[in-house]
Amino acid sequence: MTEPTNARFPARDLCGTMLVHRRLLNESMTYRARRAAIETRALRYEQGRRAPVRTEVLTIPVVVHVVHDRAVPADDIADEQIHSQIEALNRDFRAANPDVAKVPDVWKALVADARVEFRLATRGPDGEPATGIVRVATDRHDFTVDDGVKSGATGGSDPWPSDEYLNLWVCRLRGGLLGYAQFPGGPPQTDGVVILNTAFGTTGTAAHPFDGGRTATHEIGHWLDLYHVWGDDDGACTSDDKVADTPNQADANYGLPAFPRVTCGNGPNGDMFVNYMDYTDDAGMFMFTRGQAARMNACLEGVRASFLVSPAAKEAPAKEAPAKEERLTRAMPETWRPSHDGDVERLLQDSERLTTEVLNDIRAAIGMVGGHPDG
Amino acid sequence: MTEPDIGIVGEWLHSYEEDTGDAEVYRPARHPFRPSRRPRRGLEFRADGTFVELRPGPADRPRPVTGRWHARESGVRVVFPEGGRVDLTVLSCQDGVLTIAK
Ligand SMILES: [Zn+2]
Repeated sequence: MTEPTNARFPARDLCGTMLVHRRLLNESMTYRARRAAIETRALRYEQGRRAPVRTEVLTIPVVVHVVHDRAVPADDIADEQIHSQIEALNRDFRAANPDVAKVPDVWKALVADARVEFRLATRGPDGEPATGIVRVATDRHDFTVDDGVKSGATGGSDPWPSDEYLNLWVCRLRGGLLGYAQFPGGPPQTDGVVILNTAFGTTGTAAHPFDGGRTATHEIGHWLDLYHVWGDDDGACTSDDKVADTPNQADANYGLPAFPRVTCGNGPNGDMFVNYMDYTDDAGMFMFTRGQAARMNACLEGVRASFLVSPAAKEAPAKEAPAKEERLTRAMPETWRPSHDGDVERLLQDSERLTTEVLNDIRAAIGMVGGHPDG
Repeated sequence: MTEPDIGIVGEWLHSYEEDTGDAEVYRPARHPFRPSRRPRRGLEFRADGTFVELRPGPADRPRPVTGRWHARESGVRVVFPEGGRVDLTVLSCQDGVLTIAK
């Protein structure tokens, strides 16, 4: 070696984590201001200074864009594979996944039902009947992380309005990447999640060890404002995920670690590598915590409040596997079922606890949605 | 400044599965890498002396960090404008495989 100042590539040079965020934040002052407001709000929820107003299970309308090389028919994954992904999400976000039983005893009390479900959209942006699946044959063999898959102009597929639909793009990604997400508060035209086609769903082309649908669970976690449990500080113990009930841990875990795995003096229980926001194999991750659920609630009652009032979210119940007690709810007549309007009403009337800023968020969200035809 | 070594010019990703005890193995970004949840570090050496490192990002999209590179005896020196300097010892660079000392 030639007198290196660092023997290896310095992942941690110049205080790693803060650089990540600063660079991102510097991209746009608007984005920076939005992220700060989102973070303030998330902390209020996470620290219990604000309780979620939402009482009902929220169903998020999803549009899946299958973008495939027209020369590779196998990349045009089948409906069945897409449905298997939606079903996996509805298990994971309701803590109805059978493998939740594998959570080590010390963390069982932290397991959270995020009370979010997903359903392929049955109405398109203009109110037209839809399957929630958009198939685009393209001349591109694969995509990089430059958001090219999110626009028809670059060989991808344009998003549906991202304040009403969760956009999931499924494609071939270069470099063995499983997927990537965008945190809330970013540009609406690229808002959503991208997943590698062989890491999507649990059937068809989904391939071991990423055939449990957990890449989408993880990425949607980011979309709902969750950070990685290790705090993205590349092995240091200086930064965490801003959620108190996930232990501070040094770095990502891969594969299928054995309990306990102690880092950052987090013994005796060690890293929570069973969390969806770590980097273990699909078979090794099976829980969100209560703190993470609180962060997701802050997001859904704040920057993503449009989903609480979205007309797309008020469509007929899903065909996909309803979780647990939801089956009962869905068997009830329409009029017995609590509507999302109830949540919105409560949000708006709960002005004692709501800041002007938050009220404006919600009103803006309603305004956005209300401006849509066939709303 | 030494002329850039043309052999190393290009975009490389860490093929960590192929690492040995004392070497890290990189392959061209176009290589059909096995899907991996563990991020693959990227090293891009451009002919004009620009260096781009791809580091793990907070939402799984690799995060580019730009610097300058130049060839030195037995390797490459990278200098980042934000401060920091790294020397890479290139063990070999042939047949689409770049090997760097750990
Ligand atoms: Zn991630």
